[in-house]
Amino acid sequence: MSAIVPEHHAPRRSVRRLGTGPNPYLPVPARIMRMQELTSEIRLYDLRFTDTALADRWAFRPGQFVELSIMGVGEGPFSLPSSPTRRGIFQLGIRRTGTLTDYLFDRVREGDTVGIRGPLGNGFPIELFEGQDMLLVAGGLGMVPLRGLLHYLIDQRDSFGRVILLYGTRSPDQVLFRDELESLARRGDAEILLSVDTTQGKPWGGRTGVVTELLDLVQLDVSTSYAVACGPPVFYKFMLEKLVARGFGRHRIYLSLERRMECGIGKCGHCAVGYTFTCLHGPVFSYWDAVNLPELIYT
Amino acid sequence: MQTLRMDTSLFGSFLEALKAFGTLIAPVERSPGVFVLEPIDDVRKARPDAVRTVLPFKKLLLKPQFTMLEHRSGSEPMDSNDSDWPPMVYVGAHSCDIHALKILDMLYLNDFVDPYYKRNRDRLTIVAFGCMPDDKCFCASQGTANVDDGFDLGLTPLEGHYLVTVGSARGDDIVRANPQLFEPSDRGDVEEYLDRLKRRLESFTLSMSVADLPYILELKKDDPVWEELGKKCLCCGSCSMVCPTCSCFNVRDELPEEGVARRVRTWDACLYRDYALVAGGHNFRDKRADRVKNRYYHKQEAFVREFGKSSCVGCGRCIENCPTGINVVEVFNLVRGEL
Repeated sequence: MSAIVPEHHAPRRSVRRLGTGPNPYLPVPARIMRMQELTSEIRLYDLRFTDTALADRWAFRPGQFVELSIMGVGEGPFSLPSSPTRRGIFQLGIRRTGTLTDYLFDRVREGDTVGIRGPLGNGFPIELFEGQDMLLVAGGLGMVPLRGLLHYLIDQRDSFGRVILLYGTRSPDQVLFRDELESLARRGDAEILLSVDTTQGKPWGGRTGVVTELLDLVQLDVSTSYAVACGPPVFYKFMLEKLVARGFGRHRIYLSLERRMECGIGKCGHCAVGYTFTCLHGPVFSYWDAVNLPELIYT
Repeated sequence: MQTLRMDTSLFGSFLEALKAFGTLIAPVERSPGVFVLEPIDDVRKARPDAVRTVLPFKKLLLKPQFTMLEHRSGSEPMDSNDSDWPPMVYVGAHSCDIHALKILDMLYLNDFVDPYYKRNRDRLTIVAFGCMPDDKCFCASQGTANVDDGFDLGLTPLEGHYLVTVGSARGDDIVRANPQLFEPSDRGDVEEYLDRLKRRLESFTLSMSVADLPYILELKKDDPVWEELGKKCLCCGSCSMVCPTCSCFNVRDELPEEGVARRVRTWDACLYRDYALVAGGHNFRDKRADRVKNRYYHKQEAFVREFGKSSCVGCGRCIENCPTGINVVEVFNLVRGEL
C-alpha cells in the first residue's frame, strides 16, 4: 500500500503526478454506479472510473479528497467516505449546498458520468496510527471523511488497537450510516457511541446531549492513542480543547478542514491559511499545526 | 559562464538576430514614461532600459484570462492551448524580473506541474538587461538586485558597449549563431563593470530591513497598524495585478455556445472580497484590514516559511500603482517601529 500512496505532508520540492493524469486540471470520467439518500440533503454516490485500468489502479489515503466537476456547471472539492482498501469503486458523500450540488441532485442520474481529479490533499497520517488506540470524533457531516478512515482501520483491524467512534448530530434523522455503524459495534470491530442534540420527537434509542459529553464516557490511555476529529467550526472550538484537557498532546490530535478551493493543487491561492495551503498541506492537520495558524479554525 | 562584449551600435542587429529564436517581447514606451511589455517587430521600439513596465512578464506566461479546458458534447474535456504562445524572447528583463520568474517557477514547476505555465516557460528565452534604480526600487533590500542565473544572455550597459554574460546553453546557441556581434571582453571591462555596480548600489534611495521579518510579523499580528492600513486600502487589487509574483487565480465555467463548455481561468487577488468565501456563506477574511494584512503576510511571512525566501522582489510596481499611495516599504518600516 505505501508504495502507491503519496507521502504525508509531501514537500513541494519534487514533481508529482496526480492519480488521474499528467494535466492536474483535467478531470477524467467516472460513472455513477449508485446513489443513496443518507438524509434529505446528503447523498452517497458510488463511482467508478470508465477507464478500467485507472479504476483498478487508482488509490488514495483516507482523508484525501477529490474535485468533482461537471463541465459548464463547475467543480468542487468532496471528501471520500470510502476506504482505499476497497478498490474499483470509490464513494463521495455530498451535501446540497450550491449550483454544482443542485445540478448533481436534480439532473444527474445513475449511469451518468462526471469528471474527477485526484486524489488531492495529504490524508491522515496512517503510519503514525499503527499499533495505537484510535479515537474518532465526528460532528455532523464530519462523519463523511471519518467513515473512510473508519473503514480503513476496520479493514486492517490487526494493525490497530482499539477503534472508538464518538459521533454527534443535531437530530436522529441527521445520523449518517446509522445501520452500518450499529452493525460494526455489534460485531465488536469498533466501540461506537452516538448522540443527538435533540430527538425532535423522533424515535431514538441513543443518548441525547452534545457530542463533547460522549468523551466523558470513554476510558483510554492517551499516551498510546491518537484522536481524529472532524466536524464544523463550532465542534472544533469545543472538542479540540476538551481532548487536550483529557490529556491528549496537541500532536496526538488530528483534524480535517474545509476552505474555498479552485485548483486543489496548491496553485490558485484560495485555500491558503498562513503558510499552509489547505488543499496541499492539508486538509488534515495536527492540532499543534492548527493552533499555530489561528486563522485556520477560529476566524 | 562565458563573458563577452558587444558594441552598443550592434544592439539593433542583435535584436534582429534574436528573432530567429522566437517572438521578441520588449518594453515599449506607450506614452511618455509609461512602458508596457509587448511583442515587437520594429526593433527600434525596444526600450530595455525602461526601469519598469506596468505589468510584469507574468501576463505572457499565463494570460489574464484563458480557457484551460474545452468540452464539446459527445467527447471528453480537452486541454486548451488558449494561453500558449509561440517561442518568446524576452528582452530587457531586469534582475528583479528574473527573480520573480524564479519564484513563479517554484510555484508552478514543482509538485503538481502547471502545464499551461510550463509550455510557455519552456519556450522562453530571457535576455537580461542591467538597470539603474529609481525612487521606487528596493530590490537591494530584498536580495534581488543581482542575479547569477535564470537568464540565457545578460547585457550590462557600459561605455559604448555591453558586457555580455552567456548564462545558458541557449544563450551559447545565440552567440555561436552570431559570432560577428561579439568579441572577447578584457580586464578594462571588468573594472568598468565593478565601477558601475558601485554606482548602482549607491543609487538606491528606498530601503527596508528584512531581518527577522517573519517573526516580527508574527509578533505584530494584532497590531493596530493593520486596522489603519485597512482604512486606507480600497482592496482594488491593483498591487496584485501589477505584482510580478502574485499569481492567484479563479476558475469558472462558461457556456459560449450550444454543446460547448469552457473552464476559464482568470487572475484573482486575495484583496477581493469573495476570495475566501466558502460554500455556505462563511467568509474567512470579510474585513478589508484582514485582506490587506493577509497579502503582506503572504509575501513576507508565509512564502518565507514555505519556500525559504520572501516573494517580494522589490520592483516597486505596487508603490507606483496604488491609488491611495500605500507604500509597502513604509508599511514594513512602520511595523518594525522605524517610522
